[in-house]
This record gives sequence, C-alpha cells and structure tokens, in this order.
Amino acid sequence: MNEELDSQLSAMFDNELPAEECELLARRLSRDGDLKARWGRYAIMGAVIRAERGITLEGLAGRVSAALSQEPDLRGAQVSGRTSPSRWWQPLAGAGLAAGVAAASILWLRAQAVPDGSGAVSPALVASTANLNARATAPALRTVRAAAADSFVVPPVPRQPMMVVPATELADYVVAHSAFSWPVTRGNLLSALMVSEPGTSSTPLRSDQRAPGVQGNAIPNPK
Amino acid sequence: MGADVSDLSLVRRVQRGDKGAFDALVLKYQHKLVKLVMRYVRNPAEAEDIAQEAFIKAYRALPQFRGDSAFYTWLYRIAINTAKNAVVSRDRSPIEYNVDRITDSDEPYDMQGRMKDSETPEGLVLTDEIRSTVNAAIDALPDDLRTAIVLRELEGLSYEEIAAAMACPVGTVRSRIFRAREAIDRRLREVFEGGLGRAEELG
Repeated sequence: MNEELDSQLSAMFDNELPAEECELLARRLSRDGDLKARWGRYAIMGAVIRAERGITLEGLAGRVSAALSQEPDLRGAQVSGRTSPSRWWQPLAGAGLAAGVAAASILWLRAQAVPDGSGAVSPALVASTANLNARATAPALRTVRAAAADSFVVPPVPRQPMMVVPATELADYVVAHSAFSWPVTRGNLLSALMVSEPGTSSTPLRSDQRAPGVQGNAIPNPK
Repeated sequence: MGADVSDLSLVRRVQRGDKGAFDALVLKYQHKLVKLVMRYVRNPAEAEDIAQEAFIKAYRALPQFRGDSAFYTWLYRIAINTAKNAVVSRDRSPIEYNVDRITDSDEPYDMQGRMKDSETPEGLVLTDEIRSTVNAAIDALPDDLRTAIVLRELEGLSYEEIAAAMACPVGTVRSRIFRAREAIDRRLREVFEGGLGRAEELG
C-alpha cells in the first residue's frame, strides 16, 4: 500500500482531508477491503487512547454489513437537500399564502368601510391606511375629509411636511382628549410631545417660543 | 477544512447506492456508539444489538440526512432514541446516573435517561492484548509523534490547533499523526494476524 494513500486515509479519518481528495478516497475505501481494515484499526487505536470500552470483537460491523446486504441500496431513494426539486414550491407557497392573507385583510377592511348612511369614512379604514404622519394630522384632516367624502376610496396620504398641524394645536388636541386616556399613556404622550417641541432639549426656549402659562421646559404637575 | 467533510463524502456515496461506504462509517463510529449505548443498558450484548439497530435505522434514514449537522451528531441522536426506546420497551428501570464517569465531552449532554455503567462487560472490553499492544506502541513513539496522536485522539484537537500547540506547520502535524498510526498499526496487525479480531474485519 502506498504511503501517500495511507497518509490520506489517516487525514480523512480525522476529517482533515480536502473535499476533492475525500471524494476519490471514499470511493476506494468503500471497495478496498485492506483499506477498510486499516480504517477500522485506526478507530481501535483511538478507542484505546480514549480508554473506551466499547470495542467489540464480536463483529458488530460485520453484522451490520450483513443486515444491510438485505436492504435495497439508496440509489433510487429521494435524498433530501437544500436544493431538493420536490420542495422548490415551498417558498412560493409561503409567499402566496402571505399575499392571500394580505388580500383578505384588505377586502375585510373595505367591507368594514361600507357607508352607514352618514357618508363618513370608516375609522377602521382610516386607521388602517394612514401612516404615522397621517395619524399625527388625523384630527384636523379627518373632519375635513369626512365632510367632503362622497366615496369610499382610501384617502390619499397628504404629501405634506411632518407637522402640518402646529405643535401647539396638536398639544391642545392631546390635552383635550387626555380625559379619555389612561394617565400613564397620557403622561408618555405629553412627554413625547414636549420633547419633540423646539426648546425642550438642553437649549432653552426663546421667550417668543414659550406657550402661555408654561415656564421653560416644565411640565405642569397634574396635581 | 470542513469539520465533517470526509464523513459527508462517505454519506454521499451511500446515498448514491454505495453500501460499502457505509461500512467505513460503521467501522469508524461503532466504538463510540457502543460506548454511548452502554450508558443506557448494562448488558453488553444488548448494547451491541441496540448499536446495530441504530446503524440500520441510520442507513434507512440516510436519504433524509441533508448534512446540516455532522454525521456523528445525527447518528448520536438516532442511537439515543433507539436506546431509550429499547429501555422502555424492555421495561427496564433507570438506575443512578454517575456524572463523574462521563468523559466524552464532545457529545451532547443528556442527563435524562443516562445510566450508570459501572460494570465492565467482558464481551465488550478490549482484550488486554490489544490494549497493551497499542499502549506499548504509543509509549515507544518519539515524543513529537506521541504528542500529536494524543492531542488528536484524546483531546480531539484539529490539525490546525495541534499545529499551534506544537508550533509547527499543519502538514507536519498530518505527517506526524500518520506516522504514529503507522507505527501502532504495524504492531496491531501482528496481533490481528495472530487470530485476534479477525471477526472484526468485514468480509
């Protein structure tokens, strides 16, 4: 037996042989009895070094081989793999399912928007289609659009700057509706609003920026 | 280097219908598998039967093996399940688990269902002759060869790690391990040719 081959066998036993060499050697190993016997002795050496007790001289490997000789080989079996052709449709099916759910949601929301006779746009429809910007401007816009609405087309999102409603008006709106909100949420919302205001950072407000009755960055004590 | 590249080569050959490649996998892992199963059953003959069953199950399930995990990890799971099922079906009561005896740290840890393997089954134990032959051969090795083979087999280090530990190129490590194995194998062959272990060889 040539030394290079044995050296490759030793490296292959340790999973340290390059893949392309493994392919060739695996083919030979599966057919060459001497090579296979040497491979088996490598396993025994390792077992002795690790002081493993599970070394059998009763021919376990031979019995497994004999049992498998009764089995059909796996040539015709469907082998799983990442590129298995039998599963190519799975990502498409997933995407289709997601699209179906989205379409059903839209249809359901449209059904919710059926007029109740007053001609007002359904709040659910508004809520589902308006983005964060529209939500911020919703109180003012919704009133205007509700009055003018003569169909149930999703209202277009206004292409306007982030704060179309003056901040002070928005603050007034939040405060006015705060009676209906949970105190903690209200506090957070007001805090966020105050932080978004000019002058709420470390830079003090100019006197002309201050809201009447509010001193600096102070938030009035609810008590 | 892929951690499981040679095993995967053999697996792919089996999947393409080459049963002989599966023999190599059995030869490589039978000792570890029997040792593993011995944590669940006391009887060595039963451990061998379970290991055999596990190998056959693995062969049948090999078309489903995709190579996402190492082959031995996959085989390990099959063996564990086979052993547990065998224990349940034979209505064996679990015995005390002795954590001090677990030394195979590279295997997944499974406290539940493990059993004390305090007995030394005669049917499975290495013959003294094989053990003493291998140990004597290892003792006779030059230091660099002995260190390389022990780091590989006992510590489970990769060639790259051994190269770093021994401050030598990876190619040198490969050569040292091969030469160590060759030296041990020369003595081991004498034992086998003397009649011992012939049944181990596949016909």
